[in-house]
Amino acid sequence: MRKLGRRKFVKLVGATAAVSAIAAPMIGRAQAQAGKKIVFGGSVPLSGRAAETGLNVHHGYQAAIKFLNEMGGVEIAGEKYTFELRMFDDASDPARATTLIQRQIDEGVDFYLGSFGSNIVLPTAAITERAKKPMVQAGGGSDQIFTQGFKYVFGLFPRATRQFISSVEFFKSINPKPKTFSVIMTNDAFSKTQGEGAIKDCKAGGFDLVESYQLPEQITDVSSVLASVRAKTPDMLICTTHDQNSLLITRQMIASGTNVPLLYQTLGPQLQTYRDTLGKFASAICVQIYWDERAPYKDKFFGTATKFAEYYRRNDQRPLAYHTAGGATCIVLYVHAMQMAKSTKPDAVRDALAALDVETVYGRVKFTPEGDGDAILLGPAIGQVKSGKVELVFPASAKTSDLVYPAPKWTEKS
Amino acid sequence: MTLILQTIVDGLVLGGLYSLAAIGFSLIFGVMNVVNLSHGIIVLIGSYLSYILWRTLGIDPLLSIPLVMVALFGFGYVYQRGLIQLAVDRSSLLASMLVTFGVALMLRNVLVLIFSPDFKSITPSWAFNFFVIGPITVDLVRISALAASLVLLCLLALVLGYTHMGRVIRATAQQDLAARLCGVNARHVYGLTFGVSAAFAGASGAILGIVLPFSPPDEAHWTINAFVVVTLGGVGSPSGALIGGLLLGLISTATSQAIGPAFPNAMMFLILVIMLLVRPAGLLGNAFSGSR
Repeated sequence: MRKLGRRKFVKLVGATAAVSAIAAPMIGRAQAQAGKKIVFGGSVPLSGRAAETGLNVHHGYQAAIKFLNEMGGVEIAGEKYTFELRMFDDASDPARATTLIQRQIDEGVDFYLGSFGSNIVLPTAAITERAKKPMVQAGGGSDQIFTQGFKYVFGLFPRATRQFISSVEFFKSINPKPKTFSVIMTNDAFSKTQGEGAIKDCKAGGFDLVESYQLPEQITDVSSVLASVRAKTPDMLICTTHDQNSLLITRQMIASGTNVPLLYQTLGPQLQTYRDTLGKFASAICVQIYWDERAPYKDKFFGTATKFAEYYRRNDQRPLAYHTAGGATCIVLYVHAMQMAKSTKPDAVRDALAALDVETVYGRVKFTPEGDGDAILLGPAIGQVKSGKVELVFPASAKTSDLVYPAPKWTEKS
Repeated sequence: MTLILQTIVDGLVLGGLYSLAAIGFSLIFGVMNVVNLSHGIIVLIGSYLSYILWRTLGIDPLLSIPLVMVALFGFGYVYQRGLIQLAVDRSSLLASMLVTFGVALMLRNVLVLIFSPDFKSITPSWAFNFFVIGPITVDLVRISALAASLVLLCLLALVLGYTHMGRVIRATAQQDLAARLCGVNARHVYGLTFGVSAAFAGASGAILGIVLPFSPPDEAHWTINAFVVVTLGGVGSPSGALIGGLLLGLISTATSQAIGPAFPNAMMFLILVIMLLVRPAGLLGNAFSGSR
């Protein structure tokens, strides 16, 4: 083997350095031409109390990013862009979420996706608002998010007090028509405002309030509330509680023989875990459903809601929930807005989002001037659990099954 | 009248659960002066172990209690001898608080990794049954949980009162120097105490799993509850934990019924503050050994 002499070594190193110096900018330019990258930042609960639905939202984000990148990216103002998701686990903790968002603002991330839970979305939206960076989210419906004059936050859900408009229409359509209702809510930003909205709208709809119960955010026992429900039984028991609390309430209702003609929970029964836990007892419980994969929505990127569901299931083991579709739609909305604005500048994208009116896998999306979802277009349909699945029972145009009312007693279900 | 009776029954049933969940915490606090901030996570490990046994082998959660207790006794013993004792030896008792807090955080994330953050529920075939006595409705799950709690608390009282191990644990709690002079291996006793505590925390976890849906972040709730129960009832004795738990259950349901369902936590902490001011040793307890 020939030895490498010192002079030859120096020449070799010099030549390599020169070639590198000339080629490096060219390589950089070639990479840029192959596709620019848009980063979506934010936080989401991957652990903590809100993690179950937080994971659903996050898997929706991931599915959309993967799909769009597999397409080779999308063209915006004549240039091809791919996407990167930079989400961090906020552990269902608003304080931690705000720190994470502030750090990303400092790092120069321009576009944000929402966390899950109004208590987290609200403080994080205040930070992105101050920095004039848009946030599109499918996890916060509290009125406080949309009534503080924020211009840069957009939510797929109508604000909480408007989420009951379609529900009241549903209650009115029931035959025989229920007359009275009680509400169980917890003391958190979403549940409380939604519960108050439910009371206001149901009263306006001609229903009489029997009792409203406000519980702490984390509950371990509702026996005294249920004793009161048994003593003064309403026709409808409306629970504006989060998933785990809804399950606890239902379990205790079953195990204490607390029957009502209609049990209506805004969150909980949409989850497979909830339905699996209760088995046949879950039948006839009603739930707000914001999306169903059988809906005939057309989407520029995924094709249809059904095709989105098929794509998701091919790539992900986690059961598909409406929050997943909502998460994916947040990304799709950004892309629509960027294409419409022909720009990736935050201000231009914000203006395009505000003016957006497009059909997506999630349905037709249009925001109110305050940034929440249009209550008519994006308001919930009503589902009822039947044989372990959620069937749509309202509105009539979308229904997949007839409503069972009054619900059989728990003992009849067993 | 019916509502008052129902409130009392509900309160006692809930209190039984609180008592069992707190007894392990009480023992460790009383004997070793260690505020075990990983207590809640050990309760949850019990829930998950029982869940696994129920899902994979179909073992009824109440029957799985002995298995869970054995497993967690071993875990507790090793945890104390391998980690907490080291922290106490090398630094102060405060270090043991930090260590247990750190362990709780780590174990919480391990549970998330293994079981996902989705909530779980143990629902044996009898989980939704109930019976009615006159105007009072009694949930079978909760009454079984109360019965199991009482049996286990009596068992612990017997172990502490009448066995050699119990006598040694009590002696060490009262005066560890004197116990050492009498030939007691205090380190081994600390390990045993931690093992017994973990076993009872695990048993309460198995029972709580039938009553409530659970997920890893719930651990903090059970640590705080245990702290309140122990402050109310007194440190280091099963009867103190029983009284503290039952009182807390009654306070919780009565507040919910009389003032409003939003206020049980506020009332719980108000009573905690009052107890700390008026009777820091608790209703039945001795002052914990660190304060003597």
